[in-house]
Amino acid sequence: MKIQTDERKPGVFVVSLAGDLDMSSSPQVRNILLPIFRKKVSHIVVDLTDVPYIDSSGIATFVEALQLSRKDKVRFSLAGACRRVESIFDLAYLKNIFEMAPDVNQLIDGEQGR
Amino acid sequence: MAFVSFKGPVILDVPADPPAMFIVRELVGRISSRIGFEDEATDKLVLAVDEACTNVIRHAYKNSNDKRIVITFTLSMDCFEIMIRDFGTGADPSTFQGRDLKQIRPGGLGIHFIKSAVDKIEYDTPPGGGMLLKMTKFMPRQEKAQN
Repeated sequence: MKIQTDERKPGVFVVSLAGDLDMSSSPQVRNILLPIFRKKVSHIVVDLTDVPYIDSSGIATFVEALQLSRKDKVRFSLAGACRRVESIFDLAYLKNIFEMAPDVNQLIDGEQGR
Repeated sequence: MAFVSFKGPVILDVPADPPAMFIVRELVGRISSRIGFEDEATDKLVLAVDEACTNVIRHAYKNSNDKRIVITFTLSMDCFEIMIRDFGTGADPSTFQGRDLKQIRPGGLGIHFIKSAVDKIEYDTPPGGGMLLKMTKFMPRQEKAQN
């Protein structure tokens, strides 16, 4: 799994993932994603454009991030999920729980940052 | 693309190691598509087998990655059968329960994904220890497999 973190605007972080998000890669994503909530952050977007597959451990990582975002009042969104990944969120009854958009720019354009 | 059928089981023996699970996913996906399941059913089947193997690694083998998982695929006119055999610490299948999906919390989705993908789930405790999970998916009626 390739993971890239980029602060696009002050307080707006984009975490881009590439590869399958499964039991072997989820701990790596978790270790990078969750500490971002401890920074001066207003919005975290995970870019899933290059993620062809996600399993329950990947979903669990995002649920954990969502819980943190609610506690810390940080906006947390997912972008670019392919049909297959989106259908797995749907199967878990989580598609409407997460803020999801077709691409990152749609989520952060016009956002001022912190 | 013409759908295929094959005689006799296909047996995949893989290390119970998370990085090796892509091999299982690739094979399940390829077989499922080639025998005639639609993309959505194939995706669910791939997820189900992956989750079942993940459960084996996590619970039966306690994340010890020097063990093996043996997966047997059998195709008949009516159904596609996938058996997942481990040699770990057996467990009581009645305790295998997913979480209430109304609760938003991490974990507990694997069993739900498995149940969503297949028509029948059976557990057995074979001689020699471990568990055998048998998942059966009926073939789509309008798409009979052809040679």
